[in-house]
Amino acid sequence: MSVNTNTSVRARTRELVQLAWETLLFRHEVYVGHVARADALKRGLMLLVAATLVAGMSSLAINLVSDLRPMSVEAQRQQAAQGVEEFLKSFRTMRDYYDLPPGLEEQIVAYMKAGMEMGFRIEELPTRLPKPVGRVLTDLGAFLSLPFSRMAGWAGYAIWVLLVAKLLGGRATVAQQLGTTALYAVPHVLDILGSVQCLGGIARLVATVWGIAIYVKAVAVANEFSIGRAIVATVVPVLVGGTLALMGSLAMVLFLALASA
Amino acid sequence: MRDSIRTLIQAFFLGEGPYTEMREGPRPALRGLAIVALVGVAVALVGLVGTTLEWATTPNMAEVKKTVLEGLQDMPWYQELRSSPEFREQFRQWYDRGWQIFPRLFGAPDIPTAAVRVVTLPLGLALVWFLYGLLAHIVARMLGGRGGLGQTLGCTALAVAPQLLNVFTFFPYLIVGGIVGTWTLLCRYVALKACHRLTWSRTLAATLLPYVAFALVLGVFGCLGVVVLGLISGGGSQ
Repeated sequence: MSVNTNTSVRARTRELVQLAWETLLFRHEVYVGHVARADALKRGLMLLVAATLVAGMSSLAINLVSDLRPMSVEAQRQQAAQGVEEFLKSFRTMRDYYDLPPGLEEQIVAYMKAGMEMGFRIEELPTRLPKPVGRVLTDLGAFLSLPFSRMAGWAGYAIWVLLVAKLLGGRATVAQQLGTTALYAVPHVLDILGSVQCLGGIARLVATVWGIAIYVKAVAVANEFSIGRAIVATVVPVLVGGTLALMGSLAMVLFLALASA
Repeated sequence: MRDSIRTLIQAFFLGEGPYTEMREGPRPALRGLAIVALVGVAVALVGLVGTTLEWATTPNMAEVKKTVLEGLQDMPWYQELRSSPEFREQFRQWYDRGWQIFPRLFGAPDIPTAAVRVVTLPLGLALVWFLYGLLAHIVARMLGGRGGLGQTLGCTALAVAPQLLNVFTFFPYLIVGGIVGTWTLLCRYVALKACHRLTWSRTLAATLLPYVAFALVLGVFGCLGVVVLGLISGGGSQ
């Protein structure tokens, strides 16, 4: 029984990896086959969650190592003092450009030090379970929250894209639209390189552009319309949102200008 | 119970099947109520586990309160004002009052509140489910929907499925966030479509109008509250 279950899980995993790979290569028949399946949303969501967790692994490892590394209170204080020094450097640069009141620098430093001292004292307070347990749980909690945060952004946006697609004559059901557009997350496994200097930024940019291209293709296939319409359906929500935000900002500026006149 | 959980999981994935089954099955409203209550209790119990683990890895809040107070009193602004006994008294009052609100706002683990949620969460979910179902039914019928009230309530009860994501909060410090609300909206759309057999645009209207109605009622009550508070404080100052 358990051998059968293991084989089935392994086969399903292999199938998902295959789907992910062929999605990255924009194989049209794979997209069409995926949309036609009853479990398209389940498979799409599984890939989205898996890609997000893989991408978050490097941050998790870095956080765990830095949180579990034994560090004396004195070393922590030194690190904090370095932070204050760095802040002061940028503050002094700013002072050359702005007319800041005398004594402000000393006041800011005094408050920063008092705040940090408060933080250190709280950090030293005992907890019921050993401190490292709490740190590991906090890091794991943040890591496991990543897929939920990605899902919220993706699903929220997909609703608007689906609405525009419907207005353009799209035929996708909610499950088909979400199941296919979820594939956009696959290239984001590259985000695992995010913490590598220089390379991280490039990897993120490549993942974003690749993800958008997959999103457009997915919208076109799910709605059975052209790539041109899919681009319109994908872009219009951003444009409408951006225009509304711009109008809101302009109205705010106008209101403030009138109020101060 | 196993059947209910399987149905909920299927409903989460937005296929019309489970919603249609609920529509065609016997006593949909009663079954819906049972599902909503089951999800509410399960989510609250699991949340209690997560909160307990967070509590066990967080310092005693009374100690934190004392440490923060000492830290604030060491700051230059407090040193400047501490000579006034009136200020000291007022500060202490505001600090105690703030401490009753802010830790909860910032997610400090609170076991009694998490325990009370075992009762309040199912009740709250049931109330929202009933009010939403009723309003959505009225709108759907006005738009030509064919489902009965019991069928609407049964189908929209399955839209509680995204609450199952909160089951993951047994893991401390995990934040599920806004996805539950967004996914609930999607489930409600599919529920109303399966129940009333409307076109997509009419189903969308039937899904969203109850939200608009809730927002309007909240807005009106909010404005009334501000007016009443203004009258009270205005009357008090005269």
